[in-house]
Amino acid sequence: MTEARLTGIDRNETLQYLGWLGSPIPEELAAEISRCENRILETARPRAVWRLFDLLPDGTLASTTFRPEGRDVPALLKDCSQVILMAVTLGGEAERLLLTSQARSMGDAVILDAAAGAAVENVCNNLCCDLEARFSPRFLTDRFSPGYGDFPFSQQRAFFDLLDITRRIGVSLTDSGLMLPQKSVTALLGIAYTPQEHRHRGCASCTLFAGCSFRKEGKHCGSC
Amino acid sequence: MDPAEIILLDGGMGTQLQAAGLPTGQLPELWNLTEPEKVTAVHRRYVEAGSRILYTNTFGVNGLKAARYGHSVSELVEAGVRCARAADRGEGIRVALDIGPLGQILEPLGTLRFEEAYALFREIVVAGRDAGADLIVIETMSDLYEVKAALLAAKENSSLPVWTTMTFEASGRSFVGTTVSAMGLTLSGLGADAIGFNCSLGPKELLPLVCELRRWTDLPLILKPNAGLPDPATGEYRLSAEAFAEELLPALREGVAYLGGCCGTTPEFIRVLRERLAVPGLRVDQAPISNEKPPRSDGVCSATGTAVFDGVRVIGERINPTGKKRFQQALREQDIDYIVARGIEQQDAGADILDVNVGLPGIDEAEMMKRTVKALQAVIDLPLQIDSSNPEAIEAGLRAVNGKAIVNSVNGKEESLRAILPLCRKYGAKVVGLCMDENGIPETWEARAAIAERILNAALAIGMPKEDVLIDCLTLTVSVQQEQAGETLRALRYVRETLGLRTVLGVSNISFGLPARENITVSFLTQALAAGLDLPIVNPNQPAVMDAIAAYRVLAGEDSDSEAYIRRFASREKPASTEKIAGSPAKASGISLTDCILRGLKGETARLTEEALETRGEMAVIDELLIPALDRVGMLYEKQEIFLPQLINAANAACGGFEVIRRRLAQSGSRSVSKGKILLATVYGDIHDIGKNIVRTVLENYGYTVIDLGRDVPAEVVVETAVREDIRLVGLSALMTTTVSSMADTIAALRRSGHDCRIMVGGAVLTPEYALEIGADYYAKDAKQSADIAREVLG
Repeated sequence: MTEARLTGIDRNETLQYLGWLGSPIPEELAAEISRCENRILETARPRAVWRLFDLLPDGTLASTTFRPEGRDVPALLKDCSQVILMAVTLGGEAERLLLTSQARSMGDAVILDAAAGAAVENVCNNLCCDLEARFSPRFLTDRFSPGYGDFPFSQQRAFFDLLDITRRIGVSLTDSGLMLPQKSVTALLGIAYTPQEHRHRGCASCTLFAGCSFRKEGKHCGSC
Repeated sequence: MDPAEIILLDGGMGTQLQAAGLPTGQLPELWNLTEPEKVTAVHRRYVEAGSRILYTNTFGVNGLKAARYGHSVSELVEAGVRCARAADRGEGIRVALDIGPLGQILEPLGTLRFEEAYALFREIVVAGRDAGADLIVIETMSDLYEVKAALLAAKENSSLPVWTTMTFEASGRSFVGTTVSAMGLTLSGLGADAIGFNCSLGPKELLPLVCELRRWTDLPLILKPNAGLPDPATGEYRLSAEAFAEELLPALREGVAYLGGCCGTTPEFIRVLRERLAVPGLRVDQAPISNEKPPRSDGVCSATGTAVFDGVRVIGERINPTGKKRFQQALREQDIDYIVARGIEQQDAGADILDVNVGLPGIDEAEMMKRTVKALQAVIDLPLQIDSSNPEAIEAGLRAVNGKAIVNSVNGKEESLRAILPLCRKYGAKVVGLCMDENGIPETWEARAAIAERILNAALAIGMPKEDVLIDCLTLTVSVQQEQAGETLRALRYVRETLGLRTVLGVSNISFGLPARENITVSFLTQALAAGLDLPIVNPNQPAVMDAIAAYRVLAGEDSDSEAYIRRFASREKPASTEKIAGSPAKASGISLTDCILRGLKGETARLTEEALETRGEMAVIDELLIPALDRVGMLYEKQEIFLPQLINAANAACGGFEVIRRRLAQSGSRSVSKGKILLATVYGDIHDIGKNIVRTVLENYGYTVIDLGRDVPAEVVVETAVREDIRLVGLSALMTTTVSSMADTIAALRRSGHDCRIMVGGAVLTPEYALEIGADYYAKDAKQSADIAREVLG
């Protein structure tokens, strides 16, 4: 199964998007965050589209003119003979909720925004898991999005052309390269015959998340 | 309907061109100019397969993309029409100018304005009309507002028939949430000649949507589905031509008149369809048999919400300046947020439709109506009732509205009928007809009913459907003209039962001048409902009024199993919580204003502000209580003892206090309190504005007046506003690296203008160093710091 699935929202990720650094969270605020996460879970209609391409030796995707630029993507794909392009969105309904909530309560709006950010991560993670299963016994690399590392943001356009994203899942790309609905992700990932090294999953998945002194100073501990 | 009347359209174009050698990634419409014979060859194969209407190869052409093409819209369109026309070898083929989505999302989710979209569509329409297209097809749309812009552009700039098809998901909504009922009601009203679905899904999945659409329109239906669902790995569609036809034929029973295919379909699909349609007697069970139409539903709608007219529907009356000083002040200061908040309040109180009246001497009512309609529909799903006596304001509202609206009102005067009804017909709005004319309000019910009939006939004469006429029999004040209450009710019953029209009535007037008004109002309302009132215009914030309506719905059998009634009063059992944050009602004793703000208790902050105002002046309350409380919140935030949601909730609570002060000053006729004006904007090209909105909330609650230009704001608009409003502090936000350059341009433009102001900037990718490098005076790392900067600059 490779449909878009939203199965839950990681509280730590919501808190991280809210800039939380470990201060006490009053009971009523925790309840407010739960309410906001639930509203996102109820409102979002996640959608996904993906497609498989053969990878030519020069790094171009077969039968297209798209060749990811920079050094990071070729390094990621060094063991791969195929590549998947994917796009995921929480949908226009959640986007509208984020917009309307700003007129009702800015406090709820920032929490909803953070929860929606965590939700779209969940949809991406689920899709990648499903793809992992589908392409087993081969292995998938981490996913990599335009704008990460030296993978130029401007190559976003190729994802839209090759996946027909606007027509298939209702996401459009503005002239300045921003996606609408905003809670949308494009990424590529490679398929290899050998196990692939995965990067650290980020601070929100760390056991020291709440009290980390590096994080309080806006730094990382080096393991990510 | 006879199978012979089914007209076959064509199928997929892009994949056919690729099969003919169009390289992946090249824009298909370019071939209209460079390889016209290949485009014509594809059209020709559709004609030979049985297509009688050809869509031109112009789906992606529009002015926004002209640069990518390197050719003008008119060149590409003209060539596209020519290519299709050349495929006609005497078959009498009709050529449809194909118009697709612009590729940019319209306001409010996106930044493309409705008026800009209209202009882009007009350019395509004019080109197609001049090139000799036989009809116009607007297709693959998911945003009803975009369809409206295109449909108006087509109707206003050509006399060709206009078809529109939209794409939906199996859930019955489009990607942006448009419902099938909203599509049917709105597009029928706006004068489309045929409507339906294309793309989206396979025929089987679209069939239930076709049935739903049939309930909301009498227009011929169009169906052009995909060849099933695509294989995710390859993007290829799965249905064979035979299976496609098999799935599509049941749609004929729903009165579909035009059939074709979209993604993944080929001339073979059309050929098989023609064969299946041409064999008499084949699969009679699936042939179009019935001329009986399913029962038609009626109502009004926004793009995402429909008020179905199958019982009492409440029109909320609170967006209206009459007798409300605070509302008048908001209009004069163009404080749209205040107006929108009145809409949200009524939606939460159970209104089904919102009346919108923004008429006030000295303001540009048409412009204000347009802005208000757009702002309301950005955040509220309810249909709107445009309330004005000024035809210009009515048209501005009707044009801006996304959905099917009501116009309040026309009356029996010749002049009124002539000015208002054509607007309602053009924009497909329902109209409220007032039972009065040149001679005022008749005293007998018979004379009022006669005016109602006159209004109905005038509407029918210009082609409005009967169900679009609503009648208001007019409520007079019972303390002045006691016998008139009965006349109103008698007129109402006649209009409902004999004329067969739905009725509207503003009821609050009845009790003017009497003590305990609510008794009279509710009693009259109940009698009017019993006499057949469909659409009471009331203040939904009055619980007694809404209770009476809830009870009526039970007694009239509208509220099945009393479900809504039980739900309404179940929540009444609990003590009413006025605080947003549950579980922490501030006890009247002991808690200070500072604590209330710190805990985000808005209602309690307002109450304590009222109390403080008994002993201190307005400015003293602001400077001695509200601001110090906010400062304490800011300090805790800096020390990381609280985090962002708490900062905002505190600012929001303080807002409760400021609102009390604003209301009091409005009552006494003073100007608003303000510590100075600040202009905020998210720069051109950027649409991520939540950070800017947080800053705005905080600044407003420190007592500053914020002029918020929104997002994607061109540099010249920032400069022009800063100069006009004499702004001394400008705040700019940009989220992405790609848009920081636009921030630098805006700063440069402000400096070039010579206008004396300070500039603060913020956004995820900015650093203090970079902020200075691009010429800003301040870098604000968060909302708290922006308030510190404001204090430094403005005091």
